[in-house]
Amino acid sequence: MAVAALHSGGIADHIHPEPQGFVRRYVFSLDHKIIGIQYLITGFVFFMLSGLLAEAIRTQLLNPSGGFVAPGTYNEVYSVHGSAMVWLVVIPLLTGGFGNLVFPVQIGARDVAFPWLNMLSFWIFPVAGLMLFSSFLMGAPTAGWMEYPPISLQGAAGTSMWCAAIFLVGVSSTITGINFVVTILKMRAPGMTFTRMPLFVWGQFATAPLLMIATTALAAALAALFIERQFGVPFFDPTKGGSPVMWQHMFWFYSHPAVYIMILPAFGIISEVLPTFARKPIFGYKLIAFSSMAIALAGFMVWAHHMFTSGLAPFLQLPFMIITYLIGVPTGIKIFSWTATLWGGKIHYTTAMLFAIGFVGLFTLGGITGIFLAAIPFDLHVHGTYFIVAHLHYVLIGGSLMGIFAGMYYWFPKMSGRLLNETLGKIHFWLFFIGFNGTFLPMHWLGVMGMPREVATYDPQFTFWNRFESVSSYLMTFAILIFFVNVLWSIRYGKRAGANPWGARTLEWQVPSPPHYYNFKHVPTVYGLPYDFSQPLPYSGLEEELTDSPPPVAAGAH
Amino acid sequence: MSVAAIGADAHGGVDQLYVETRELRLQGFLLFLVSDCVLFSSFIFAYLYLRNSGQGWPPPGIQRLDVAFAAWNSVVLFGSGATMHYALENFKHGKFIKYMWFLLATIVLGAGFLGGQAFEYNHLIFGEHVTWWGSGIFGASFFTLTGMHGLHVFFGVCYLTVLVLQSAAGVYTRGKYFGITAGTLYWHFVDVIWVVLFSIFYLL
Ligand code: HEM
Ligand SMILES: [Cu+2]
Repeated sequence: MAVAALHSGGIADHIHPEPQGFVRRYVFSLDHKIIGIQYLITGFVFFMLSGLLAEAIRTQLLNPSGGFVAPGTYNEVYSVHGSAMVWLVVIPLLTGGFGNLVFPVQIGARDVAFPWLNMLSFWIFPVAGLMLFSSFLMGAPTAGWMEYPPISLQGAAGTSMWCAAIFLVGVSSTITGINFVVTILKMRAPGMTFTRMPLFVWGQFATAPLLMIATTALAAALAALFIERQFGVPFFDPTKGGSPVMWQHMFWFYSHPAVYIMILPAFGIISEVLPTFARKPIFGYKLIAFSSMAIALAGFMVWAHHMFTSGLAPFLQLPFMIITYLIGVPTGIKIFSWTATLWGGKIHYTTAMLFAIGFVGLFTLGGITGIFLAAIPFDLHVHGTYFIVAHLHYVLIGGSLMGIFAGMYYWFPKMSGRLLNETLGKIHFWLFFIGFNGTFLPMHWLGVMGMPREVATYDPQFTFWNRFESVSSYLMTFAILIFFVNVLWSIRYGKRAGANPWGARTLEWQVPSPPHYYNFKHVPTVYGLPYDFSQPLPYSGLEEELTDSPPPVAAGAH
Repeated sequence: MSVAAIGADAHGGVDQLYVETRELRLQGFLLFLVSDCVLFSSFIFAYLYLRNSGQGWPPPGIQRLDVAFAAWNSVVLFGSGATMHYALENFKHGKFIKYMWFLLATIVLGAGFLGGQAFEYNHLIFGEHVTWWGSGIFGASFFTLTGMHGLHVFFGVCYLTVLVLQSAAGVYTRGKYFGITAGTLYWHFVDVIWVVLFSIFYLL
């Protein structure tokens, strides 16, 4: 216990007094778990709004000549849809949401390093989201989520609002990134060495530096676009000596790492869910952990694979193609590890597990089309077509969103004390799975046949598959509605979960559901990896967690 | 994000808790500087990209910047880096009066640098060869980057002024002076950024 003694009286044992009153507890809360839930709620509200926009897109595409909204409005709709899904839904849900909710408990900390900054970071997010949606009132951006100039320079005032909104969520992300890095480096419980951290923590640990570094690079690009639009300062306008291609560099230098921001935490979720329900230690723990770090690092060196058609010199294109291929290696390693974890396991087909298995399958498909796209000759053919839309939705819905759903079914009992309904959950999964594939699988061949993305009308030869996709997308939306009904119903009437309904072994399951605001009565000591199901739990100091013994004294009461 | 924001989590007493909290804040602050550095790097990338995009540099009709004046101004800023260093050292060794003088000197030099920058801006904007923010890619990159840097110096001067007032009020003790450490780190950071900006705008 020498390690524990070393820490007594220090930050690890430090407890803030429990906040009193509704506002301090639930609105301007400093508690990472409440902040996590705030992120989840806000993120899912924006998810519904951008989902509505998605259905507007699919409804427009029921007919080759469109007709649901005007072509200009259509441009606004898909631009805001994409921006909101990336910056207001997937990133906040996976980092601020699940990150805050879960990883501090998993490393045995009482809170994050800077609770006050955490609160600030959350409150920036809904404000920025409202700003983004309010851009519809002044003419929303029309150049897609990547807002290439010169179109973004010509757009209505809403494009400037877009810049400001995305800049602000960026500030929020940067703060979260700094907070998470410091928390993981400094706040781990005694004995929680790096190679004993749960894989979800590794996912956040690989993501946080990206949040911190890549997002700031985007902030520069957004600031430049904003001042060019508002004050006529030339950066991107070619008629004044600026360069539109420069925007593409600045944007993708952020946005390629951002795709890893959107997938690494989901990798982490899957790596928790799979071993828990296969009742087997995760295969290749270190491989998964280090491949996350490798992906995060290499993610900064591949951005120009989005720009193969932008007129880069060929000697520049080739290295980008090769490094992109190389990124496929750590990604493949992970897929291999997950499959090996499932292999021969005693699999419990809970809803969380279904989503995790679905993730492995669909993400693999998205990864394979990514490797296709990295091949310059193929990319020249399909760039700007629905093939790209297919790829990005397989990785973002089949990957990130399935990860989010797996995480919701898995951790909902921890945050609420009640289980989500499994029957509704399975209906949700299957309808979603079918609807998703029906919506996005045909986009592969439509893209190869040359159907361009981001256009309000299309060639009548594509009518059948587009109608098929639209109808499938309605099914997918219906499945998501079932999920929301499930959440609302289960909060009040769900089965009581108890501390550890899944028999899981990471630290958050060893404390009550929901955990006390101070997380642990005594900070535990950790002796090993959490995933070895045949061994006793590798923790000590947790004996009192599930008893009625009094809470620890607020040492730092002030 | 500001230093004050991190400071909001401060706790009293020089005990282990304080030592650990200070470590957290130091690390957080360094990471903040890293991301600020990325912000500058992105604009520096933009400048170099535009500079090499074809017309030659400076673009036709624009004079080269006046190196001599900017060099003197840089000496002023680097001097303030030195005084800031001695301020911190003196504080650590308990020489409070010397610390205060060095801190004040840093503020004066920092303000002097800003004055020099204002003079240079005035010359560029209203002098013979009118250049301004929006008049071309030269103005865009020069005024954005040096302006951003100037704003950083300005915030630094304000922060150091707050440090003077806080120190006079006895906020900092020999065991507990994270605010001064943070100020010193920030000030050196701003100095280093200026070395880069000076090289790429005036010398390159
Ligand atoms: C095996 C790994 C992957 C490879 C090799 C890869 C490769 C590529 C390439 C080459 C493109 C550019 C296509 C073009 O515009 O012509 C692309 C687009 C895209 N990828 Fe991936 N990708 C991978 C994984 C991911 C992941 C994990 C995500 C996100 C979770 C993602 C999200 C996107 C998005 C959003 C786009 C489209 C951007 C746009 O709107 O134009 N990719 N990918
Ligand atoms: Cu990419």
